[in-house]
Amino acid sequence: MKPGRNVVKIIVRLIIIISVTALPGIIAISLIPDPPEEEIKEALAAISEAASSNATIYSRRLYREAEAAYDSAMTVWKRENRRFILFRNYSRVISLANTAAEKGRLAAASSVTGSRNLSERLKVQIKEAEKVDSRIEKLFTRYPLKEELRKRLAKGRLLLREAEVAYKKNQLLAANRMITDAEYLLTDVYKNAMEELKSYFGAFPTWKKWAETSVAESARNNSTLILVDKFARKCYLYHDGKIKFAFEAELGKNWVGDKKRMGDKATPEGKYVVTRKFQGKETQFYKSLAINYPNNEDIERFKSDISKGVIPQGSKIGSGIEIHGGGGKGADWTDGCVALSDKDMDILFPLVKTGTPVTIVGSLKNIDDLISSDNE
Amino acid sequence: MKNRILTGMAVIVMTALLASCGKVPQAQIDEANAAIDSAKTAQADVYVPADFAALQDSMRAVNAYIEGQKSKLFKKYAPAKENLTKVVALAKTVKENAVARKEEVKKEVETLIESLKGVIEENAKLFPRAPRGKEGAAVLEQMKTEMEAVSAASADAQNLYVEGKYMDALNKLKAAKETADKINNDLKEAIKKVGGRI
Repeated sequence: MKPGRNVVKIIVRLIIIISVTALPGIIAISLIPDPPEEEIKEALAAISEAASSNATIYSRRLYREAEAAYDSAMTVWKRENRRFILFRNYSRVISLANTAAEKGRLAAASSVTGSRNLSERLKVQIKEAEKVDSRIEKLFTRYPLKEELRKRLAKGRLLLREAEVAYKKNQLLAANRMITDAEYLLTDVYKNAMEELKSYFGAFPTWKKWAETSVAESARNNSTLILVDKFARKCYLYHDGKIKFAFEAELGKNWVGDKKRMGDKATPEGKYVVTRKFQGKETQFYKSLAINYPNNEDIERFKSDISKGVIPQGSKIGSGIEIHGGGGKGADWTDGCVALSDKDMDILFPLVKTGTPVTIVGSLKNIDDLISSDNE
Repeated sequence: MKNRILTGMAVIVMTALLASCGKVPQAQIDEANAAIDSAKTAQADVYVPADFAALQDSMRAVNAYIEGQKSKLFKKYAPAKENLTKVVALAKTVKENAVARKEEVKKEVETLIESLKGVIEENAKLFPRAPRGKEGAAVLEQMKTEMEAVSAASADAQNLYVEGKYMDALNKLKAAKETADKINNDLKEAIKKVGGRI
């Protein structure tokens, strides 16, 4: 036999073998199910998109559901891949992958909306808390708050700052936790302090009457009047019923409320007159104007307070209340006197004589005006 | 005889061709997973969250590709191997970045702890010099309460630092420092007002 014929024979046999083998192969290949690659890819893209939209933070539930569906899809896919190739069924994988993609897309959208809404809400909440803090600052900076309220205020302010820091870093959930607590504390302090203040302002009608009659007298008699507004820390010099000068004033530590007894560090409220003028070595406070505290009303109230047990038996009524220099410290530091700066005392001192009326009131504005002017 | 041998060889070649599906690169998958775990242990999810998420995405994509190949008759794992090598390299970079960022935050926290300590100490020295009555004033009392709150926050932040929670410590310290600085300014202004020297 020629070698060429052998080669031909081999080739023919090979073709026959290949054909016989390939035919069922081709049939088998056509029966192999398509792997769910596209669906998985889509699910993966949606989850990735959700993650980059911070859904892990702002749409946690949906994101977790998407991840769980994806993981299940992969598990089922692996299980199917372990079966004989022709018996594999990817319908469950496809369904799970589609669920994962849908949840992922929802998580991304909800995260974008959620974080935007949260960011906007936080911005408003931080501003509101800042407003409350600023109101407290304006109305109560020099108000002797109770220790508990002071502690809550300090804590609230610190939390507000933490919330601001977190918000600036876009750590919205942390900012949300902080601002909720800060807002609660600051609002609570404001509410409680306002209640105290409102109770103090119960005497406003009396203050108003004192101030109006004093100013009217000054106008009627073409006379000088010293009018002290404790809440505003102002000492006004009137002449002919008109304000001529307004000075910054500093008061006793416990300036809220009327003076009740010696040593209570309160600045009295009432209608008085200048009884003596001191300067140089006569006073330790540069220049001073002594007033007739206690007047008859003060003495009556003191006696009544003693008998009612409002103040302890054996208490003494205070004295030695003055308008004096040495002020300008920016704090309420006196034992109950009204302190002005030495420069202001130089203006006031020569314009006042013995007998000049001195009216001291808690406030010239009512509480609603104070709050509304503060809100503005 | 010769013919039979040749035919047999042809059959073997065909079978080998059909069966040459390739093997799942399990060793490389394990290596990539270990590298990702190592990055997570280095708190990459906390300090470089976006990079870590990208790393996880890459690994998921490789796993999906491998599963896709397993579903096919003719398997091709070469691209997966190549991508797994990339994932391992990426995981290493992410880990390095996380370690570096963590160190950076740690340093920032340490600096803040020190500088806050300095301001707290300075405030404690300035406070007695602030103008006051014989028993202090409302402003000073509030300042004192706030100074105490700042000291408490500083202690909390130091505990967080010891626990390795640098990010949490950082926010607390920044807020405490702002408050301490404000108190410092207020005290200095108050002292200047009465002619005191700072």
